[in-house]
Amino acid sequence: MSTLLTLVAQGLRQGLRDKTVILFGFVVPLVLMFVFNLVFGDTDEREFEPLTVAVGAQAGDQMVGVVTDVLGDLDSETLDVTVVEVDPDESRAMVADGDAGLAIVFPDNFGGAAQMGTPTTVDVRRGEDAGVEADVVLSVVDGILQQFGDAATTARAGLAEGLDAEQLAQVAQASVEGAGYAIEEGQADDQQLSAGGALVAGQAGLFLLFTVSFGVTALLVERENGTLARLRSLPLPAWQITTAKALVSFLTGMLSTGVLLTAGGFLFGASFGSLIPVALLVASVAAAATSVMFLIARVARTSEQAGVATSIVSIVLGVGGGAFFPISAAGALAGVLDLNPVAALLRGLGITSAGGGVADIGVPVAIMLGFAVVMLLVSRLVPDRGAMA
Amino acid sequence: MTSTPDDVLVVDHLVRRFGDFTAVDDVSFRIAPGETYGLLGPNGAGKTTAISVIAGLLKADGGSVTIAGETMRPDAVSVKRHIGLVPQDLALYPDLSARENLVFFAKLYGLRGKELASRVDEVLETIGLADRAKDLSKEYSGGMKRRLNIGVGLLHRPTLLILDEPTVGVDPQSRNSILEAVEALSGEGMAVLYTTHYMEEAERLCDRIGIIDTGQLRAEGTRDELIRLTGGTDTIRLGGRVDTTGQEEAARSMRTLHGVERVDADRHSLSLTVHDAPTLVAEVVRMAAEAGMKLTDVEISRPDLESVFLHVTGKALRD
Ligand SMILES: Nc1ncnc2c1ncn2[C@@H]1O[C@H](COP(=O)(O)OP(=O)(O)OP(=O)(O)O)[C@@H](O)[C@H]1O
Ligand SMILES: [Mg+2]
Repeated sequence: MSTLLTLVAQGLRQGLRDKTVILFGFVVPLVLMFVFNLVFGDTDEREFEPLTVAVGAQAGDQMVGVVTDVLGDLDSETLDVTVVEVDPDESRAMVADGDAGLAIVFPDNFGGAAQMGTPTTVDVRRGEDAGVEADVVLSVVDGILQQFGDAATTARAGLAEGLDAEQLAQVAQASVEGAGYAIEEGQADDQQLSAGGALVAGQAGLFLLFTVSFGVTALLVERENGTLARLRSLPLPAWQITTAKALVSFLTGMLSTGVLLTAGGFLFGASFGSLIPVALLVASVAAAATSVMFLIARVARTSEQAGVATSIVSIVLGVGGGAFFPISAAGALAGVLDLNPVAALLRGLGITSAGGGVADIGVPVAIMLGFAVVMLLVSRLVPDRGAMA
Repeated sequence: MTSTPDDVLVVDHLVRRFGDFTAVDDVSFRIAPGETYGLLGPNGAGKTTAISVIAGLLKADGGSVTIAGETMRPDAVSVKRHIGLVPQDLALYPDLSARENLVFFAKLYGLRGKELASRVDEVLETIGLADRAKDLSKEYSGGMKRRLNIGVGLLHRPTLLILDEPTVGVDPQSRNSILEAVEALSGEGMAVLYTTHYMEEAERLCDRIGIIDTGQLRAEGTRDELIRLTGGTDTIRLGGRVDTTGQEEAARSMRTLHGVERVDADRHSLSLTVHDAPTLVAEVVRMAAEAGMKLTDVEISRPDLESVFLHVTGKALRD
């Protein structure tokens, strides 16, 4: 066991003497944080523009009333939304004149169609100047309309039991509110990293992969140096040689991520929360990153190939994980992106920065550790062409 | 092949293949305590492959390797304490100094504290790098790197020191100091397995020599035993001007000498195949003079390992 410590100590010393490790583990990411901050700075202070939504519909349609109410509820400190109910033609005119940013035109007898679950079309016009606020409103409307589809089933069941139209509207309203827009939005706000924090965490996550690659490509370098053969002629178990490299990777990874989060947080005034859960996240992401390097060490024949592979994987995971800008996707792709350890790190730091503790970061930690386990298993399965051959 | 139960190394019918290619083909030999054994063979003969299996870097495809009574295998640990490997290719950390390289490996061999420090100093002395111990090894000359490479293999005073062509690519001065160091270690009682394709090194260092070619051990023995394999005849060549009758007369009288097997003549020289040239040469020269030959040169050649190699493999050691 003391030989393992000797190997690890030697690996760490090698890493600290290696200028590229210092460069990619610490200097470059800090410089990039600065640059990005200059370029995309003060996204934090960005405010949504006020938006007027013209809802055009036949007067007295209770289902339209539900939509109008929900949109009215959107009006808050973050989003300034004014909803006006007018007739269909006027709503279109308001958008054309620039009096409204968005017109939502419901067909005649929309309520009836919605109750019966009959397909119907809602016409939407956006003003030329309408920005991201209009998208927020539209996504909410979209959600409500889907809920109506579900509610129609409930409503038809109600009809058989002899409810009147007003009661039906209440059923629909209840089912829309059950969807809970307000709660979802609140959560998203609370657990999102500030722009500065996201930048720091994203860069730390991206460069982590470069940093950890050091320990494992060191295995390939040892083979090129001939020292791997010598190590294998020494009286120590072979697993210690690879384990030592993994530990070196893991420790340098933790060190650089720790330093980057601390330094970056200080520079950009971002806080990531309390030490223990953050350390747990950092350890998990370092483990995930180290596991990727094992796969690379197995597939790459030379340390140069390993370097190229590391860059590719780093960029893919880094960009996919939102290291440069937030990535959103839907469906299966979103599922894949969620399994990215860099994304999980950002998510986890979002939770801890909002005051979450160890118990709250179970999912991101599980994703990162699960990723590590899968990578290790895969690396055992692929034929060995590299350092461990 | 004589064998004793306490042989340091027993290589028994060793086979190692790379795909369809057999790099080590049924090789057997033994090394006694304190003995220096040479594996002499040309490039690609299988020396490094054999050594890699012996040192536990490669798995054997057949046969076995026993070191100090323990079976060597790649996953074996304790048996590796007995060996010190000096690989053919340098195996050093270029960004560490000589001392740091030695200390690192000494720790892995389990040395600690005072013992470690004094052993590292001793080794630095042995390899003649004490005054450059603090310099990074990447700044060393080729010869110095080679010496450090050897030093690492000596740290734990192995029972068996394995040196794979340790003088390849070094200047004559470093080469000589490497050979002296090996002689000194052997003098201290360390058993040595030494591979080379230089026959002078094998002749100078080795108690016994195995001749290896295309993966097979073709012959084995002390230098004299090997030379006897060639038939053991020497050659005396007399060069100079002579008329034909004088030359024939000289050849006739030489053939009567005890120990002369053949005499061949051409226009400018006589070539004698003899047993034990040194005792005959004076008499041969006198006979040539008597017959009126004006000698310009006299050359004695005795078989060396080169001739042995030619004899057992049918080709020259160096091409
Ligand atoms: N890893 C390998 N894969 C395939 N063939 C190999 C491998 N290692 C060695 N060989 C082959 O085995 C044969 C013996 O090689 P080896 O290195 O043992 O020779 P050597 O006697 O040490 O030669 P040299 O004097 O050049 O060092 C060569 O033909 C070589 O090409
Ligand atoms: Mg060789």
